[in-house]
Formats: sequence, structure tokens, C-alpha cells
Amino acid sequence: MDAYLERIRRHPTRLLGDLFVIFMLIVVIAWTLFPLYWAFINSIKFPYDVYGTKWIPWLQFEPTAKYWRQLLGEREIRSAIKNSLIISIGAATLAIALGTLAAYGLARFRFDRPSNGELTTWFLSQRVLPPVIFVTPFYLLARQLDTWNVPYLGLDSVWTLVLLNATFNLPFPVIILTQMFREIPREIEEAAQVDGASRLQIFLRIALPLVAPGLVVSFVIVMAFSWNEYILAVTIAVKNAIPVPVIIAGAESTRGIDYQAVGTRTVLALLPPAIIALIASRYIIRGLSLGAVKG
Amino acid sequence: MSETTAPDSIGSTLGAPNTARASRKRDRTRWYFIGPAIIWILLFTLFPLLYAIRTSFYAFRSGKMLRWVGFDNYRNLWEDEALRSDLQRTIVYVTVVVVVEMVLGFLLALLFNRQMRGVSSLRTIMVLPLFASPIALGYLGKTIFYEIDGPVNRAIEALGGNGIPWLSDPTWAFVAIMIVDIWQWTPFVFLVSLAGLQALPQDITEAAEVDGASALQRLFSITLPLMAPILWLILLLRTIDAFKVVDIVISMTLGGPGRATELYGFYVFRTARRFFNYGSAAAQGYLLLVIVMILVSLLWGRIRNLYEHDVEAR
Repeated sequence: MDAYLERIRRHPTRLLGDLFVIFMLIVVIAWTLFPLYWAFINSIKFPYDVYGTKWIPWLQFEPTAKYWRQLLGEREIRSAIKNSLIISIGAATLAIALGTLAAYGLARFRFDRPSNGELTTWFLSQRVLPPVIFVTPFYLLARQLDTWNVPYLGLDSVWTLVLLNATFNLPFPVIILTQMFREIPREIEEAAQVDGASRLQIFLRIALPLVAPGLVVSFVIVMAFSWNEYILAVTIAVKNAIPVPVIIAGAESTRGIDYQAVGTRTVLALLPPAIIALIASRYIIRGLSLGAVKG
Repeated sequence: MSETTAPDSIGSTLGAPNTARASRKRDRTRWYFIGPAIIWILLFTLFPLLYAIRTSFYAFRSGKMLRWVGFDNYRNLWEDEALRSDLQRTIVYVTVVVVVEMVLGFLLALLFNRQMRGVSSLRTIMVLPLFASPIALGYLGKTIFYEIDGPVNRAIEALGGNGIPWLSDPTWAFVAIMIVDIWQWTPFVFLVSLAGLQALPQDITEAAEVDGASALQRLFSITLPLMAPILWLILLLRTIDAFKVVDIVISMTLGGPGRATELYGFYVFRTARRFFNYGSAAAQGYLLLVIVMILVSLLWGRIRNLYEHDVEAR
């Protein structure tokens, strides 16, 4: 602190700069958190508290859990939460299983035709495809499966949505884990190979535990994006398979805005991915930037 | 940074590079690792895409396939006035949001690229918007931009201005959905740029500082050239994703008022889901895919060149 004051005394203009940075820090945090906080406090306010400047629960208004109880009491909502959990956890599990294997393959073996680089690009291309292109073929194919009476799959099935979400999020585990596998010193695996361990044993017993953080991060990223996915969900789900975003998009009120309903529903949709984001924030940037930065 | 190995230096057998060639022929193990994911993508991405090509050559009426119409669905793209104006609107939307997000995000990254308490919590907080459900955000946007007594208009009125007709005026509604996009994705530019800035070699900038280069000179002749590949990549990802936007429009404005916020993705979505015209929707989807592919091929070359240049320079 003293050193800091000393520096400020020598360069008084630095103080202005520092104050500006602190000011911007507050502005940016407030701007980012405002919509989320607004949704949250509306979900715990009585209607007569909605208008007027009341920001702090207990101090400025009496909070209530009434609207949350109401929301969670609705059968549709409970079913949507269940569906969303199945879809997001199922898709994450599947994408991690496929993605981890592929990532290890890309990191530890050489491929000639197609080359490693081409294969990686192939997996990455998944990331740029607009999902809206798939609305038509997936709907028609799912309808076709229905006419063939294929069990579990087809329209209005959460399992179809598990498969589709795993597909679209496959690039994340592939990118994140390829890099992490490459960062494992090869000597460790070579030593195990000398000791007579098989390829599969090396992968399962040595490589996999070393990339555990990458597995967790990939899992939660896929989970969060699958939780949020809307376009394919509304294409496939008709009644029984409807997840949270579809419920929210359908919740139109005709007379003005029901602030409590908006508050509880948006918090319900935003909260699980938010918690996930906070858990995984360390590797998220690497994953989302397709490995361009280490983050 | 721990040691990374380039793929071409990895033999197919870890311990014995000399016998690699001999064993590679027999080594099927690698395909067991990568095979499932490849088959998966063939099945769930390539096959649906090919199926959509077939669909795009058929006429549909209320969801039923009627007959083969050849290139009619594609020809209709050309003559569809609504599609053309939606595409133009989308290009305006993409340009504005991407430019604002890139400039704002990068400037913030420059500002907060320093040792300071609070910056790490800022980074954590900035992750939140990236994972926010766009459907929920649009829905929330409706209340935040609500014209009578919504928080934004109340703040404007408290400052002595007049409330803005956010959702009933065509221009303002367009601005409102752009604000939601900017809120959600500026943090992405910020976080990736900041990570990139922190990975830059410090000694170069310090040397330039010693040599008396001004902050602006250092920015333009050192920081920006070094950051270029990452910035191009951010630009590519943001442009593609902005072209794909559907969710925010669906839950916030449904394309209205009039057609003021009808973006191209929404248009395609509605052709399929509302009018059940799958043939046209498939053709419209392919147009979007072509746009995305052009963007990727234009910018990917740039990113790759810059990466290679980077390697040579070192």
C-alpha cells in the first residue's frame, strides 16, 4: 500500500487512470449482473412491490417464495425440468464418451488419410453449422422413425433430443481434451507401455485421470448448452418431451406482463447453466475459443 | 505452458518410432478411438444434410411431401422479396452487433489487462452471459424493455428523458434485440481477448516502452499484430453465430413489430415450423449454410496464414 502511495505521489496522473479502471469495473459488473438480478428479485416480490425502486429484499420489500412454490407446483414445469435434466446430462455423457475417445486418438496417433489436422477441422466444422438447417431433416427423419415404430426414438422423445444435443456439442470435448491429452508428457505413457500395459489400459488408467479437469469442464459445457437448446427441442418435442426453454417460449400472457412469472421462469432457465459456468470458469474460455487461447 | 507435441511428431506407436511404419499397417487401435465419433457425425450430421438436399427438391403442402419440383425451391429464394429484405436486415444486424462487441470487448480487455484486485471476479462474472439461455434472455428482455414502467424506461424518465417505445417502434425493437445480443456476447470477446493479451510475451512490450514508444504506438505496432490471429478467430465465431440467431427473436419480438426484427434464421425456422413448407425451408437453410461456408473459407485462410506466419517469426 505504501509503495502504491509512493508511486501515485511520483505520477499523480496514474491515480486518475486507476480511478477510471475501478469506475469501469463497477459499471461493467453492474451492466452484466443487472438483468439477472432484476429477474431474481421480481421472482420473490409481491405484485405491489414490482413498481417503484425496491432493490434489496427484507430491507426495502418483503420477499416471498409464493411464486416459486406456484411454479414448482405446476405439473408441466416439473416435467420440463425432468426432461431438461435428462437431455442435458444424457447429451453430456454421450458427447464426453465419444469426444474423449476421439480426442485421445487425435492427440496420440498419427492419421494420414485424412490427416490429424483434417480430422480436427472435421470435428470443428460441427461448431459452425447453423442448427436451423437441421430443423427440417431431423423433423422428417424423426417422423419417419415414428411410422416405423422405433422404440424410444422419434418425435416427442427426450432420447432423440439427447442424441441431437450430443451431436451439436461434440466439438467441445474434442477440442478441450485433444489439447489436454497432448500436454501429458509422453514419457509417462511410454513407461507404462514398457511395463506391458495395453493401449486401452494406458488410456483408462493413466491418461484419463490426468485430464479429469478437462472431462469435468467439457461435461458441464455440453450440459449447459443442451439445457439452453431451443430450436431442435421445439422441433422434436410435442408434449411429453418438452424441456424448460420450450415452456418458457410458450408462456405468452395476453394482458400486459406478469413480472413474477417472467422472473421465476427466467431464473429457472438461467440458474443451472450459471452455476455450471461458475464451477467451470477456468477452462471455459479455452473451450469456447476452440483452443485458440489457454485461458 | 507444459510441453505440447505437434501431431506430426507423434508416431503411431509411442515407444518405438523405428518400427512405427511396420506397425502402422497393423495398428487398428487408433480407429477404435476415433471411429465412433466419425461414425456418429456421418450418421447425425452428414446424413441429415444429404437428406435435406433431397427434401429441398420436393414440394410440400402442410407437411406432406407432394412431388419432385427440381430447383424450384431454390429459384423461389431468388424471387422471394421477404427473404431478400430479411437477409439484408440480418446483414445489418450482424455487422452492427459484431463490430460493437469486438470494439467494446477488446477495449475492455485492454483496460483490465493488469494486476488488480477485482479483475479475476470480473472474469468469473463475465462468463455468466455466455451460458444464459437466449430464450430466457429474450423473455426477460420483454420485461426490461417494457414500455410502461419497465426498468429501462423508468431510468430514462428519471434522468429527464422521454420513455422509448422499445418494442412497438420498428427501429427501437431492432435496437433492443441488438442490445440483448451485445449484452450476451461482448463478454466472449472480452474474455478471449484478455486471455490472449495475458499470453503475449511481456518482454517485447516492455522493450518498446523502454525505447520510448507511446502507448498508442505499442498498441498498433505490437499488441494488435500479435493478437491478430485470435481477433480474426473471434470475428469468425461471432459473425457465424450472429447469422444463426433465432432464439432471441422468437421469445422477445416474434419478428415484430411488422417484420422489423425478422432475422434470416427466424425466417427459415418459421417456414418449417409455422408453414410446414419443408422443401423451401431446406433450400433456405442451405442458403444460410452457403453464407456461413463462404465466411469460414474467407476468414479461415486468414487465421491459418497468420498462425503459420507466427510460427515462422519465432
